[in-house]
Amino acid sequence: MLQCIFLLSDSGEVMLEKQMTGHRVDRSICGWFWDYVISQGGDSTKILPVIASPTHYIFQIFREGITFLACTQVEMPPLMGIEFLCRVADVLTGYLGGLNEDLIKDNFIIVYELLDEMMDNGFPLTTVPNILREMIAPPNIVSKVLSVVTGKSSNVSNILPDATASPVPWRKSDLKSSSNEVYVDLIEELDAILSREGVLVKCEVYGEVHVNSHLPGFPDLTLSFANPSILNDVRFHPCVRFRPWEGEQILSFVPPDGEFKLASYRVKKLKNIPIYVKPQLTSSSGHCRVNVLVGIRNDPGKVIENIRVQFQLPSCVESVDVSSNHGTVNVLADKTCFWSIGRIPKDKSPSLSGNLVLELGLDRLPVFPVFRVGFKIVGVALSGLQINKLEIKNMPARLYKGFRAITKAGEYEVRS
Amino acid sequence: MFPQFGAATADSLSRASTLVFRIGTDAHLYDDPDDVNIAPLLDSRFDSEKCEALKRLLALIAQGVDVCNFFPQVVKNVASQSLEVKKLAYLYLLQYAEKRPNEALLSINCFQKDLSDLNPLVRAWALRSMAGIHLHVVAPLVLAAIRKCARDPSSYVRKCAVNALSKILDLLPEENTDLEELVNIFMSDHSLGVVGASAVAFKTVCLKNLSLISKHFRRLCESLPDIEEWGQITLIEILLRYVIARHGLVRESIMFTSNATESFHSTWGSTGLFHTFDNHNSSIENVPHDFKENSLMFKNYIEGWEECLLQHGFTNGNVGEDQYHLNYVAPASIENDDVRILLQCTLPLLWSQNSAVVLAAVGVHWIMAPNEKVQRIVKPILFLLRSFPDSKYVVLCNIQVFAKVLPSLFAPYYEDFFVHSSEIYQIRALKLEILSAIVTDASSQFILDEFQDYIKDQDRRFVADTVAAIGICAQRLPSVVDVCLEGLLGLASQESSTSNASQKDGEACILVQAIMSIKSIIKHSPARHEKVIARLARNLDVIKEPAARALIIWIVGEYCSIGQIMPNIIPNVLKFLAWSFSSEILETKHQILNTAIKVVLSARNEDMLVFEKILNYILQLAKYDIDYDIRDRARMAEKLLSPCNAEDISRKLQNGGTAGEILENIFRGNKHPSRLPDHDFRFYLPGSLSHVVLHAAPGYDPLPKPCSLHDNLPNGIADEDATSGSLDSGSSIDESGSYNDSDPSVTSSVESDGNELASDSHDPNNPSSSSITNIDEDRKENSRCHPSESSFVYDQSSRSAAENLTTSISSDLADLMSRTALESWLDEHSGLPSATKPSESSSIRISVNDLSCTVSPKLHTLLDPTNGNGLKVEYSFLAEASKHSPFLVCIELLLSNCSNELLTAITVEDGEPNKSAASSMQALEKPESLSTTDEGSTIIPIEEITRLEPGQTIKRTLQVQFQHHLLPLKVAVFCNGRRYTAKLWPDIGYFIRPISMNGNSFVEKESELKGMFECTKRCSFEGHIEDLKHEEQKQSSLGTDKILLVSRSLASKVLSHANVFLVSIDMPVSFSDDDASGLRLRFSSEISRISKPCLISIVAEGKCSEPLNISVKVNCEETVFGLNLLNRFVAFLH
Repeated sequence: MLQCIFLLSDSGEVMLEKQMTGHRVDRSICGWFWDYVISQGGDSTKILPVIASPTHYIFQIFREGITFLACTQVEMPPLMGIEFLCRVADVLTGYLGGLNEDLIKDNFIIVYELLDEMMDNGFPLTTVPNILREMIAPPNIVSKVLSVVTGKSSNVSNILPDATASPVPWRKSDLKSSSNEVYVDLIEELDAILSREGVLVKCEVYGEVHVNSHLPGFPDLTLSFANPSILNDVRFHPCVRFRPWEGEQILSFVPPDGEFKLASYRVKKLKNIPIYVKPQLTSSSGHCRVNVLVGIRNDPGKVIENIRVQFQLPSCVESVDVSSNHGTVNVLADKTCFWSIGRIPKDKSPSLSGNLVLELGLDRLPVFPVFRVGFKIVGVALSGLQINKLEIKNMPARLYKGFRAITKAGEYEVRS
Repeated sequence: MFPQFGAATADSLSRASTLVFRIGTDAHLYDDPDDVNIAPLLDSRFDSEKCEALKRLLALIAQGVDVCNFFPQVVKNVASQSLEVKKLAYLYLLQYAEKRPNEALLSINCFQKDLSDLNPLVRAWALRSMAGIHLHVVAPLVLAAIRKCARDPSSYVRKCAVNALSKILDLLPEENTDLEELVNIFMSDHSLGVVGASAVAFKTVCLKNLSLISKHFRRLCESLPDIEEWGQITLIEILLRYVIARHGLVRESIMFTSNATESFHSTWGSTGLFHTFDNHNSSIENVPHDFKENSLMFKNYIEGWEECLLQHGFTNGNVGEDQYHLNYVAPASIENDDVRILLQCTLPLLWSQNSAVVLAAVGVHWIMAPNEKVQRIVKPILFLLRSFPDSKYVVLCNIQVFAKVLPSLFAPYYEDFFVHSSEIYQIRALKLEILSAIVTDASSQFILDEFQDYIKDQDRRFVADTVAAIGICAQRLPSVVDVCLEGLLGLASQESSTSNASQKDGEACILVQAIMSIKSIIKHSPARHEKVIARLARNLDVIKEPAARALIIWIVGEYCSIGQIMPNIIPNVLKFLAWSFSSEILETKHQILNTAIKVVLSARNEDMLVFEKILNYILQLAKYDIDYDIRDRARMAEKLLSPCNAEDISRKLQNGGTAGEILENIFRGNKHPSRLPDHDFRFYLPGSLSHVVLHAAPGYDPLPKPCSLHDNLPNGIADEDATSGSLDSGSSIDESGSYNDSDPSVTSSVESDGNELASDSHDPNNPSSSSITNIDEDRKENSRCHPSESSFVYDQSSRSAAENLTTSISSDLADLMSRTALESWLDEHSGLPSATKPSESSSIRISVNDLSCTVSPKLHTLLDPTNGNGLKVEYSFLAEASKHSPFLVCIELLLSNCSNELLTAITVEDGEPNKSAASSMQALEKPESLSTTDEGSTIIPIEEITRLEPGQTIKRTLQVQFQHHLLPLKVAVFCNGRRYTAKLWPDIGYFIRPISMNGNSFVEKESELKGMFECTKRCSFEGHIEDLKHEEQKQSSLGTDKILLVSRSLASKVLSHANVFLVSIDMPVSFSDDDASGLRLRFSSEISRISKPCLISIVAEGKCSEPLNISVKVNCEETVFGLNLLNRFVAFLH
């Protein structure tokens, strides 16, 4: 039972408080929390999701500079609290088209109304985005203009969405869509760890199947893969029926309107990584030479974009002097080094080199940074997962189907 | 080219664009909510103006401004036709309803009108808001509204009605059966949304009444996959509880196989899960260890951690194994239909998108699934780690327990626990722990390679943990011992060469940890690793860190006579140590001294002379050391050594001379067998909050006792007609104690018997216990009694004299008293000023003595004689308040010497003098004004006990500041120069102190602390039965007042477990001698830390001769504290 939800800005200011039960929580808990964050180094991203304060148990997540904080005093599944906060964050992002301090302050009435619908007496009530959108209208240009012109606006619906009573609560029953189209996207993230010896320790793909559908009525979709056996783990949207998956490994579902995440999966034990990063650090007599080489290892067949390398210099480094033959290098005050490369040119392989001056009295570098790599490849699913076909029952003939794949770097780390 | 610049422009651009977008939003309302006069707007005729006013109010609420003065004006707007105005008004109303109860009542009419509105949305909102007002007066109306809405055609309204049930639960405690009935109706609803919500209502309203589930069980299971996700989480838990209560545990599950020792090896061997165990010598030790761990876990699941300790007399974890055999009746088989269906229906939920659902389903399979099928949970739970990063920490906490109990489950998936650079320290530490638990021969290569990479990490704390993990791996897998040792040695020598850098602390920490790991590895077979010891000894001249040096010297001394190489290098090492003695720090000096003596004791004849000389040299230095401890030790050693020269020692050793024997025992005494690193003995249900924070959160409820739900129902799927019948029988089961255990009460009563003797020697100068004095006397006036201060003083002086009288005359007077008591009930106004009657005061004395015999603080063991080399330390909580600070709790220590030797220099100190992060956090928690104690110490140490003869017992009072009322404090007991760490468990019953008040002021205070500050729990009490029997045997001819006895045993039970003041005892108004219903005891106290009152009342029901149903109620402003206190009360009363 969540007793209260607070939204905190990135400076610790309480932007919003919503009491959920009769057991009111004083907002001084946020002060305690912020002191705790500062005592832990002040980095909001590095705070545990569950904290036991002297008076309350706190659940918190951090999204785009905003801390979502919920309190309880009694036993409850902690994941329920965290998951709920994530849903709140997702729904708000969907409503406001992003998430930042100003957006929340500007639309605080909508946030209040949403929170009130999403939770009743500390327990989640309606979290399905589709129903929420019918109950509380999202802010859009038309309504804004209307409100400016006419001076009145109401974003609260007068009728109860009938999806609340439907067996498929995620879908509006009387949808009349003009554009008959379905898009299926495979969005994959490649995780890899290269050890200090240069061995590929771990290489796997985490992927999500996103579906964006605009179909009238009650369409029944069936998505099948050419090679479902490579999928290691899966998680499904509630609309996916379990039986067909268990039996024939096909995804059968009635989709919500608009974009949603149909499934997520993992493919493990991959062998190939698209690009290599070879860091070299040699240190002697108070100096350290850094040399990083980046290049294509296994050509995925498409262009690799947005390549960037990021690493945190050890705290014993006094000063840094690095440069690259391609792309830009930035060193932030907290000794984080960003090297954005973009695409790899045809004629040369990008390299970064430089000199680190170590602290006085330190002869050699005792600790070594980890290089985190980012990239994006459009048009390829590196896991090798292939969509076989998408069948749609009880639908008009004129229909547009689209497929897309994209691979990004996930936890792609090269140790030096 | 310049991303920062780019970012800046992008930022300002986005700001500019939001400025554009802000037009038409409520931005201006948030920025300046009170730039116009809100009050007239609220009274405006136009909805849009009302809206604006309400939005401004909400903006003020969001910013933390108290705007409750607008309440009356806002309440009017609830009647508005505009839904938006209504909604906003509701939002405002719920924020302040509790503050302005009178005005809130004005809105009730509107709500009731709305409840019959045609629009289901309006009905739902009205019900939600009305229930949310949370006022006692409104509660019956809400109940009526819920009844009405239970038949509503809209499922959304019904769903809101279910949710409303749990809102009014604490306002209507007496209507519990009504609520249960409603829950039952909602559970049979045909809409799945309602069923899902009713699971939550069931959990809050009547979790104990599991029999309610039986007729819905099948349907609930089958609809489980289609219920909305949030309902699933709770429903899974309820179904699990039901199946366990009804059918018990599954015979084939991990929990159960672990309890059946005979089938243990065969079952696990055959499943092939435990192939690693058969291979090695040391891992054979692991079998009982793991076995112990999971049966302990299982016990914890069922009984809750505190009760588990209570039953088994927890003594440093040496729990006899026979106690693990749980003689629960006939476990269910996997063939059981209900079990099978539950497992089958939770299976698809393992793929759910909601991580909480996945974890709940995992919990069911972990507890119920047959051994060979548990594997199914592994992939889903591991996938959570990647697919839902926010839950990583919580999931890892759960995996950690699974992996420790059943390492083979996760062994093939070690890759998932490799550490990423972006993860926070706590997550990394958990991963390390899991990795070192699941390492096998097959994966050891990869995991150790991975560990090598971690050594270079920037977070030195993490590196130290890695080094410790390497040590654990080596102890688990003998095949990697050499590799690990080599690596650790390399680390030790390498770090020492570069450790003159700035981050000395971190490096030193790693170094010490490396040597600790080496030490724990070679402990298993020192002879094999003598080369390692030799290399360590050689490193002594480069390693500067004192703690590391001390450790190495200890290792050298301990294994000085082992193998071939050691005896050869020992003379040189010893010479080196003697040479460096004077420049060492204290701890190292200690170790040098000890090592020198050890060497002499174990030396062969030919070297003896040299060693003697070196020892003498060291002793000479030590005798004139600055530190008195060193001087004392040196003198003692010299005394013990002096009567004999080298040959004599060896001869004496052979002949068993006293001095030699003492030396032998002191320096080479048998070490108690050490085990793998301390693991936490507390397990909570998987997926629970308590498991993450590692203490029982308020409201945590362990699984029900297996098979406690009896088969009084015809079948699982009963016909609808049985509804009312099953309801009744359900509640009767609950009341007669659905737990079929009599063990805890028996053991505790035995304990209190045993403690009677001890308590005579104690001095319970306890205001609360003495205040019992005039209970019986006051009962003359009316059934409620008000103790006065005068009798308290009187009592203390006369106590000892009265003690002698007790036994002889108690019987007669008790009889007299019972008669007077009876008279008093018949005639309420027979009151005479009580203090003037001497005869009365004699009766008072008796009752005090009776109580002071039975009021006996419970003794806990701090240090076991087996672990403390003969020193036994027990402790009990004292009622007296500390003179120094309200944060301190007084504890009486009983130190006794159970060995045959003299024990010297005993002190008790704080176990973690260097404050860790946890305690600095603690410092933050304290309000500034209250932190009067110095932050440095949490213990005011006792004066040192210089000597303790064998068999002697000494009492000391210790004052301790606990950091949390549930978490233990590490203390270190020093004895004979050795340090024993122990854990001091707090007792929440002594975090309060008695405050005296009379009955009226109690009732007054209580009425102030209603609602959320009040919590109630029921349990059964059997302590009095033993007393009754006792009494009957003593005076079989005379009738005794049973109710008096009952109240006395209740009061003494409470007073011996908590530091409270007995305010009054209300006697039941009944003529039956045996009917104790209505007996009410009131206790008052205040939380010593913050001086907030904390009121406890106990009401009994039932017959005297049978176990009583009692309900305990705590009224306290600190709700968490109150709930914990309540749990404690129920635990010791039960």
